[in-house]
Amino acid sequence: MANGNVTAKRVLAGQATKLGRTVHGMAYNPVRDEIIVPNPLSDAILVFRAGASGDEAPLRIIQGPCTQLVTPHAVSFDPVNQEILVASLTGKAVYVFPATANGNVAPARLLHGPKTKLGHVVGLGVDPAHNVLAVANSKDVLIFNRTDNGDVAPRAAIAGPKTGIEDEPWELEVYKGKIFLAASNHLHQNLYSGVTQKGISNKVPEDPWLNPDLGFIGVWLITDNGDVPPLYKIGGPFSGLLHPVGLALNPKDGEIYVSDSVRNGVLEFLTPDFFEQSNTKN
Amino acid sequence: MIQRTLLVLLLGAAIVVFVLPGQKPSADRVTKGGAIMPVRSIVDPYPVFNGIAVDSDNNIVAMTDGNRKSLLIYDRTAGSADSEEETKPLRQMIGPETNIGFVAGIMIDPKKREVFAVNNDIEDTMLVLPCEAKGNVRPSRLLSVPHQAWGLAYSPARKEMAVSVEMHNGIVIYKLDADGVEAPLRAMQGPHTGLADPHGIAWDETHNEIAVANHGNFRGLAKNMGSGCVPSIPIADEESEAGQFQPPSITVYPATAKGDQKPSRAIQGSKTQLDWPMGLAVDPVHNEIAVVNNGDNSVLFYRRMASGDVAPVRAIRGPRTRISRPMGLAIDTKNDEVWVANFADHTALAFNRTDNGDQAPKRIIRNAPAGTPSAGFGNPMAMAYDSKREEILVPN
Repeated sequence: MANGNVTAKRVLAGQATKLGRTVHGMAYNPVRDEIIVPNPLSDAILVFRAGASGDEAPLRIIQGPCTQLVTPHAVSFDPVNQEILVASLTGKAVYVFPATANGNVAPARLLHGPKTKLGHVVGLGVDPAHNVLAVANSKDVLIFNRTDNGDVAPRAAIAGPKTGIEDEPWELEVYKGKIFLAASNHLHQNLYSGVTQKGISNKVPEDPWLNPDLGFIGVWLITDNGDVPPLYKIGGPFSGLLHPVGLALNPKDGEIYVSDSVRNGVLEFLTPDFFEQSNTKN
Repeated sequence: MIQRTLLVLLLGAAIVVFVLPGQKPSADRVTKGGAIMPVRSIVDPYPVFNGIAVDSDNNIVAMTDGNRKSLLIYDRTAGSADSEEETKPLRQMIGPETNIGFVAGIMIDPKKREVFAVNNDIEDTMLVLPCEAKGNVRPSRLLSVPHQAWGLAYSPARKEMAVSVEMHNGIVIYKLDADGVEAPLRAMQGPHTGLADPHGIAWDETHNEIAVANHGNFRGLAKNMGSGCVPSIPIADEESEAGQFQPPSITVYPATAKGDQKPSRAIQGSKTQLDWPMGLAVDPVHNEIAVVNNGDNSVLFYRRMASGDVAPVRAIRGPRTRISRPMGLAIDTKNDEVWVANFADHTALAFNRTDNGDQAPKRIIRNAPAGTPSAGFGNPMAMAYDSKREEILVPN
């Protein structure tokens, strides 16, 4: 990874890209060599060639009433089953589309409804070996069967004080039976619904980033359930992490990349042991 | 490393055969890792300009900085065309007490000598500080605003201010001295408004109008779930139920507009050259509207009454201009200057108002020495890794 204060190698930006300036998720498809990016402000999923640069148009756009997309917030890619997974905050839903989906197409599957317990959904990832889907939810990580569809209860939930997960866990990656989570632990309270006040408080909330309970990177087994401490953790003052949100993995080199909004920067951690086989009883 | 990676893959494949999801871990799990230091980091230590406002009465220019989370105030005549050194600000407001976060739009009330700034994506607040404030000071006023507020404008005569809200395609109007949790006086929102991912906003007091720069991203808004393939009520006037990409635009409304009111005028279409229009300013003296185009590094000027698919009357654009991913724009009619806040290269530029084409700025304010790189991060909330190119992808 680059180091210090550097400029980007390539920048993808401009009207033709159809990108919005709010992108809270991103995924790479190594099979088709493509980048998948949500545009929550136009209810769309954009697919670019991975080497795209400048004001380059997407290869494909998933958008329209059939998609049922509402504020798609984050995306993930399942390379084994060649599926795009989409998380919707507003819709409290997870959508699944084929990797080649294009235009106004219905999702192959849609998780939504009170049984799902989906709320503030951001990060998500599939473990194709266990055939399960992990979702970073309001204050927990929910585990579903990968092919669940409709209003289905999660089969497991990682939640509780031992987990250290507080408000709005953000990006999540799954690798070889482990869940890697950016537990941001920022306490975000929105007093508005759209442009209308909800009337829930007469006090301006504290800056979410000033929550003294700092965030961390946590690693759990995909088999975990309940109030389980993480198997591995990166956090504390030496880590430089305040409230981490973005997360990407490079298992080949044993590296974890983390973005932190408070620092407005990206950090790289060398943790090959995190990627190694673990005793699933621990 | 290669040998170890192969081992992990093989053993990892073996695990999945025997383990069922939902299994309880042993009660004595001890978390490993902890205070691990990063081996590398990409962080820009300098401010990065976003919004810009000029106060010609008091000879200051103020910028928001979403990178270090601060406000900077400079002498209006600071900087030069050829200096490569960092320009010293008169004052910088920075620190947790200020409540400055991922800050965007800015405006100055020259009579009360107050600076207003709005936080964009996380904090959901607008703050007011005295122009003389310095360091880690509490705002005079802190107002709760909708999520993703971006632009700010105000009317001294009406004692009102307007805030643009990106994701909700809205404009909210507050009392100018609003504080705390105070309801808006009125709001504009709806498919007829033409508001679509609004950013820059300007209040033209002379003509009692509000102008807005729109990126064109439009959310369906209507329901918590999309409508599906067969909308229940297929009527054009019903609220939209699916997102759309609309062409970017500048929309103009009466200052008293509210609800789902159509704009009085809209500049929109291929001739307009609009490309991610950001900061916007109305010049009632010379009857022009100006906007910075983040997408193609330019400033576009239109006749104030322009409407439809019209070309700009002039554009500042080209390598000599040094415009680089511009975010903020301000017009100083008293000194006949136009200001541009660059996001990508640690500068703010002052041009003659009538400049046209590839013209160099007359002054440059630098918040870092010339040539200092900028990572270009703007609240990076996500990442991805391109394993083929071994590249890290960071969206803003």
